[in-house]
Amino acid sequence: MNIKNAILTIATAAMFVSCGKDDPAPANPGNFIIAVTPAASTGVADYLLTASSLDGGTISTQGQGVEQDGTYRYYLTHNNKFFSMLYGQGNPGAVTVYNIQNGQLTKLANTVTETVQAFTPVNDHILMTKISRNATNPTATWYTFNTNSMQVDGNGSLNTSEIAPGDEIAHFSWIKQVGNKVFAPFFSIKACCDAGFGTAYPDQAWIAVYSYPAMTLDKVIEDDRTSFIGRYFTDGMEEVENGDIYCFSASVATENGKDATLNSTKPSAVTRIKAGTTEFDSYYFDFEAASGGLNITDWLYVGDNNFVVLSDKKADKGAYNTGKTIGIINVIDETYKKVTGMPIESDIESLTGMSNYSERDGKGYIGVNLTSGVGYIYKIDATTATATQGLKVEGGTITAIEHLD
Amino acid sequence: MQYFRILLAALLFFAVATNAQTQQQTVSLQGRVTSSKQTVLDRATIKVNNTVVSSSADGSYSIEGLSKREATVQVSAVGYQPFTRRISLTPGVNTLNIVLEEDAKSIEEVQVLGLTEAQEVNRQAYNVTAIDASKLYNTTLDIAGALDRVAGVRVRETGGLGSNMNLSLNGFSGNHIRFFIDGVPMDNMGSSFQINNIPINIADRVEVYKGVVPIWLGSDALGGAINIVTGNRHRNYVDASYSYGSFNTHRTVINTAVTSKSGLTLQLNAFQNYSDNNYKVHLEAYENRGGNYAESAKIPRFHDTYHNETLITNLGVVGKSFADQLLLGMVLGQNYKEFQTGARMQSVYGGRHRRGTTVMPTFKYSKKDLIEGLDVTLNANINLGWEQTIDTVNKRFDWFGVTTVLPSTSGEYRRSMYKYNNNEGSVTSTFNYALNNHHNFSLSNVFTSFNRKGSDELDPVNAQYELPSKTQKNVLGIGYQYQIEDSWSLTTFGKYIAQINTIGDRGRSEMHNWGYGFASTYFVNNGVQLKASYELTNRMPTPIEYFGDLDNQAPNPDLTPERSNNLNVGMIYSFQLQPDHHFVLNSNLIYRYAHDFIYTRFENNQQRLVADNREGVRTFGADADLRYSYKDWLTAGGSLTYQYLQNMQQIEPGFNGVSPVYLDQMPNIPYFFGNTDVSLFFRNIGRPHNNLNIGYNLLYVHQFWLYWPSRGGKAASDEKKFVPRQLSHDINLVYSLNNGKYNIGLEARNITDALLVDNFSLQKPGRAFYLNLRYFFNKKS
Repeated sequence: MNIKNAILTIATAAMFVSCGKDDPAPANPGNFIIAVTPAASTGVADYLLTASSLDGGTISTQGQGVEQDGTYRYYLTHNNKFFSMLYGQGNPGAVTVYNIQNGQLTKLANTVTETVQAFTPVNDHILMTKISRNATNPTATWYTFNTNSMQVDGNGSLNTSEIAPGDEIAHFSWIKQVGNKVFAPFFSIKACCDAGFGTAYPDQAWIAVYSYPAMTLDKVIEDDRTSFIGRYFTDGMEEVENGDIYCFSASVATENGKDATLNSTKPSAVTRIKAGTTEFDSYYFDFEAASGGLNITDWLYVGDNNFVVLSDKKADKGAYNTGKTIGIINVIDETYKKVTGMPIESDIESLTGMSNYSERDGKGYIGVNLTSGVGYIYKIDATTATATQGLKVEGGTITAIEHLD
Repeated sequence: MQYFRILLAALLFFAVATNAQTQQQTVSLQGRVTSSKQTVLDRATIKVNNTVVSSSADGSYSIEGLSKREATVQVSAVGYQPFTRRISLTPGVNTLNIVLEEDAKSIEEVQVLGLTEAQEVNRQAYNVTAIDASKLYNTTLDIAGALDRVAGVRVRETGGLGSNMNLSLNGFSGNHIRFFIDGVPMDNMGSSFQINNIPINIADRVEVYKGVVPIWLGSDALGGAINIVTGNRHRNYVDASYSYGSFNTHRTVINTAVTSKSGLTLQLNAFQNYSDNNYKVHLEAYENRGGNYAESAKIPRFHDTYHNETLITNLGVVGKSFADQLLLGMVLGQNYKEFQTGARMQSVYGGRHRRGTTVMPTFKYSKKDLIEGLDVTLNANINLGWEQTIDTVNKRFDWFGVTTVLPSTSGEYRRSMYKYNNNEGSVTSTFNYALNNHHNFSLSNVFTSFNRKGSDELDPVNAQYELPSKTQKNVLGIGYQYQIEDSWSLTTFGKYIAQINTIGDRGRSEMHNWGYGFASTYFVNNGVQLKASYELTNRMPTPIEYFGDLDNQAPNPDLTPERSNNLNVGMIYSFQLQPDHHFVLNSNLIYRYAHDFIYTRFENNQQRLVADNREGVRTFGADADLRYSYKDWLTAGGSLTYQYLQNMQQIEPGFNGVSPVYLDQMPNIPYFFGNTDVSLFFRNIGRPHNNLNIGYNLLYVHQFWLYWPSRGGKAASDEKKFVPRQLSHDINLVYSLNNGKYNIGLEARNITDALLVDNFSLQKPGRAFYLNLRYFFNKKS
């Protein structure tokens, strides 16, 4: 009987063991929020870490961080709240809302919306769009999420066939509020059969202009000097201090969605829409020529007409590749300077793309994930074109840098 | 269709051959074992020449196909004096009823000698656990439910009856574990014929081979195999049961056979399951979803109906000189399953569902001592059934039935009516030759073939992009065993696995691997048995892993075979502490190291799951199973399993530094769990031959993390996701009349109405009650 008693005792004891629920403060309280994913290949969520400064110190996912469910999360701050949005694989997407109290993330709401492919702050709302990839269903659905009531309080649908050329449909690369309108730069996709994200119109750029909040189509701005604006899940449009809009084209259109079939003849370039107008003007900055053959994969506006640009060599060009070369462009001077002080490119696994941080004071912060597995946040100074190593991030890949007051 | 034609030709040939020989008479012996006090003796061991059988619950036994006319009959049972008699047999059916005298030496001295077939299986050198299914016939369990009580096994379900199920064995799960029915691989039998819809009454016993798999289960299992042995212990019988219970659940099982004196037989197994699965689930409050969600609530599931119907027919001959059994059969099955949720409770569906059919002609042949010492088994089947997921409702549902209309061309998850037929067939053959009592040679070969054809009536254009999806796999095994009965044995074996794939426009590719292993056991004395076994296992990627299912799983043609080093060391210890207090302790230590481990992750664009290789998962584990019995009316026992699985992938793709999760415990895998049970058996309640059985079962699973344990904070505000501790109590009561001819069972599951979740947030049924009625009739001679 003793053995059985012993086993039963162990089993019973084990039942009452549960994890300790003490609530220690984070190791690095602060108002910066850094999202870190530990091992991409196993499809695990991010951990949200806080830091008081991006210029130094160390943070780690080891025993630290607020877990974010789901494989891909996208982040946005608006109305001094932090929104963590689940890209929901065709299922409804979750939105978790936080603010920061005493340097610590505090959950405000856990809500459910449709999964989204492009989202942007508009007034007190977050406007989200879910975009079809199927030519037989040329519809993008949109939702407005009220950041005060934290509810979805509006929705509707957009026809993505009528704005695209030929039989193709439009896929928004991003959306953005411009005045009282919403601008939606898009790429045209065949959305059929074996071609998916390929296009027969690789040498054109389009921006659909919608009224807000009705979201009715005003017009489509077109340009044939560049390929499409932005990239898949990448914001290629930025408004500078005087209200002018600058757009970049990565020139990564493809014949059938595969990199081997890149088919645009136009170079990667920057174009402009003057404040208050809905037409491209004659401004044309040939980035490829200025940089000696690079193409823009993403950018970060740091103020005073300066952008930190992530770019790729022509040989490495691909529809979904994020460049590892960092430089500064001034869109007024039409100059390109390569940034010094960065790690050598072969030591870089990836750079953080869409969620980098700048206070528009001439400096930008970019996440740099090294192949050694350690990441650093680098401060990029636009005036000196230099990079300075800052906050060290251990235990994963930096996917976003955000800030709340 | 080519295989089908070959199969038909083979069937035809055997049918003709059978016909030609039906005139030949064979010799069989049957009867009943009782005590001198007229009580029925089950589990008595009857040995006739070299054939050994056990008496069944009603004391009957039957031995077919005896080759000699002179026979020595030896019968033994615990607590009774052994019986020996030499008899002469006449052609046809012979009857010998046996009466055993109680052993005057008193029962206390007697060790467990009368072994059931399940206990015999457990005595093999493999790390194997056999479930004696006959003890569960008066319950509503399916095979999966019975397996959940085995040490080292966890069955994870996403909901109620018919829900998605994943069995894990020593931490391996999914396709790492292979399922067989009577030694025939079940991979191809379709969603209508799976372990979570096959009732336990179909089985005689269920064998669980952990880590090392004998060659006669010819397949490329990575982590073990489960074999459902249906047996056909009776020539003429009816076993019918019906149960009704919570959530409008109906289940019916009818097993019957009629056999003529000449050995012509018709066997029927039919079963049906139906449930609305409308159990209540707990919902969190949400700020943004209107009044319904303002507070947490418990509401019933509304789109979770499941039903399946299966009919298995076998026609042929048994007990002939050329065949113990030669059967042509047909498995017909269909199932309908509604999907209530996606992977999370937030994804609610109101229209999405699945249908599937199984249409599977089968051929079975077996003969012991075809020539003296040579046993032969041949099996063949092909499944012509189809599977279809239907998602055509363009609405978004919430838990309260409120819907939002989506564009007319969208579905709830992914608009589809894709219907496919995998045309999967298998041919298995096993030869076993016993040179004498010591040397045994075996050869086994299993050929399986897969050739998918599918189309979607909603998207006919896509049919032209359907690419060839074919695989053919052959597993050849050879084994040799040396044994000295009741002293020791050593089995060594090798397996050669070859697979030919035709994957889309990549054309044909071949892959092959050798595996090998051994299993050895040593009987220290009557009470102690030691076991050790090892296998280098190999598993080829399955067709679904290569080609996807065109619904939830994306194809990955780049997969490479996975392999694993599996080592088991174990001990069975039978002892008694005081007279009448009998114990059996079965404990095992296991080690596994898997390379190129195939696991499932989300594909890069996040739409679907995809199978991928991962370098290195290592497992150390221990499990123990203790059984206790007091006289013949109390049994109790329990099992406990602990397993530590570690991620051994040191470098993540794209990096050269050590991964932050290297050596971390693998997430989302139960690692500490157990169960206990107590059963009381009262004889002659109410009137003679009426028995009452009262049982209690407890299941425990320790809390485990959903994602990597080392990452993220563990304070409540860090929201680290975990699957909470599960503790479920079941009670059952069975009243059997007339020695088990009529049985009335009552079951209460999860009596505390605990909130049970297994797959992170997907809730399982709360408290449930079932009434089970069973009739069993076995015609003697």
